[in-house]
Amino acid sequence: MKFEEIASTLPPRTYYFSGNEAVAEGAIAANCRYYAGYPITPSSEIMERISIRFKDVNGVFMQMEDELASICSVIGAVWAGAKAMTATSGPGFSLMQEGIGYAALTETPLVIVNIQRAGPGTGQATRVASGDLMQAKWGSHGDYHIIALSPWSVQEMYDQTIEAFNLAEQYRVPVFIMGDEATGHLRERIEVKAKVKVFNRIKKLGAPPFGTDQVDGIPPMPAFGEGEKLLVTGSTHNEFGFRKTDDPLVHSKLVNRINNKILNNQERIIKTESYHLDDAEVIVVSYGFTARSSLYAMDELRKEGKKVGLLRLKTIWPFADRIIHQIGGKAKKIFVPEMNRGQIIGEIMKYAACEVIPYNQTDGEIIHPHQIIRELRYLLNNM
Amino acid sequence: MGELKQIRICGFGGQGVILAGTILGYAAINDGKWVSGSNAYGAQARGGSARSEVVISKEPIKFPHVIESDILIALSQSAYDEYIKNVAEEDTLVIYDDLMVNPHNLRGAKQIGVPATNTAIHELNRKQVANIIILGASVAITGIVSKQALVSSITENVEERFRELNLKALEIGYNLGEEIK
Repeated sequence: MKFEEIASTLPPRTYYFSGNEAVAEGAIAANCRYYAGYPITPSSEIMERISIRFKDVNGVFMQMEDELASICSVIGAVWAGAKAMTATSGPGFSLMQEGIGYAALTETPLVIVNIQRAGPGTGQATRVASGDLMQAKWGSHGDYHIIALSPWSVQEMYDQTIEAFNLAEQYRVPVFIMGDEATGHLRERIEVKAKVKVFNRIKKLGAPPFGTDQVDGIPPMPAFGEGEKLLVTGSTHNEFGFRKTDDPLVHSKLVNRINNKILNNQERIIKTESYHLDDAEVIVVSYGFTARSSLYAMDELRKEGKKVGLLRLKTIWPFADRIIHQIGGKAKKIFVPEMNRGQIIGEIMKYAACEVIPYNQTDGEIIHPHQIIRELRYLLNNM
Repeated sequence: MGELKQIRICGFGGQGVILAGTILGYAAINDGKWVSGSNAYGAQARGGSARSEVVISKEPIKFPHVIESDILIALSQSAYDEYIKNVAEEDTLVIYDDLMVNPHNLRGAKQIGVPATNTAIHELNRKQVANIIILGASVAITGIVSKQALVSSITENVEERFRELNLKALEIGYNLGEEIK
């Protein structure tokens, strides 16, 4: 049994949640029953709601001494059999990087929510940014792959949290929800459905927990206390978990597998949304809250007959290289607004043959639709 | 824009601007509408500036913040001065607290003074409910949400010990709005 439909613990109807409340409810809906965290603006409402709502579902909530302890505690809970998560923002995400690498190498499925604020350092705690996207990919040392999602609405904060748990369990990998302050604190109407589709961890008594001959590269995962002799180590290990730190073959096999299990399945993992790509001369590639501004801007310009399109990245990592390659061969220009100094644009430039134009803002404010409209008008008039 | 309504409520911290916005948003949900609500406020709990934005539509909302307010509700002079600049001269309705705000002469925009703080002090002996009085008046004047939806929203969102007071404030405010409009 892999996917299963379970009843929502929250009565199905329309709600008026903040993005952060929706994340908490999405986690509970996905059967998350362990949360360890340390409060940090602008993510704290996730922790607050979990601490209140876990009473209803017999979940275990732990406020830890810091974010390093939080991620380690979550890893432990997962190996004890739970679905578990933590939420944080930039400074806490930095502290978690050591644990993230450990989770990647031990193939520990867990969910980390980063409600991004303006950095670096403690930066602007209450202000918005999307400056942690490269950190999500490269933050811990060594070669590994994670999955990172980018919600643009309160509904998607709920839906993607459920999806994040399913992806984590399906691929045995840490999954990040790279939200931002503007979406975390936004309140919107959301629909909670009666049934939730969840992926149950695959177990196979006696099978090696860190290796598989299956082409998908994802081994089954036992838990402590189920009768298996179980070794979990962040050092190089063979398929049974024994340390083999001097063996070049064991190391390369392990590292290649934990990367390839994501890369080989990326067409199944990556989700994008396309608007007017067929005839667009300028395509906006956008994600997170900024994509709301981009959508509005595109619609306004379409009303004037301007050939503008929008590609929205719902998945940031693995990167949507194939579709970027396709649109980069058709459009004249790609425009990339980002609340950082230019992060995802670098990936787009790798795969798009056309001209790629940045628009960056790092003042702690959202990029407003009128800014995008102004820039696109300029681009369209200078083709 | 059609059915889309953009409402901005502003004042200083402590006046209940954020709560008023949240209650309005919930009310629109009760009416079966699509709603996006966002807030901005300073670090201090009282005295700083506070702003609540609510966008209400019959359809899913593309951009969730206010682009140009259709309705500006101002509870303080400094907030009024700041946000009146962004008011489109035509079609905008400005509703202000007549004790707290001295309105400017504006061409186009219709401005209505509501004795919210005054009534809160003299009729309810609680200046804290001026937010609900002006919200009630605004709803009576504009019909952006139904009165019943607003009553349910207050019942759901206000702590029990303050519920009756707020429902009373709503009733008073709604009646004020009916008289003024």
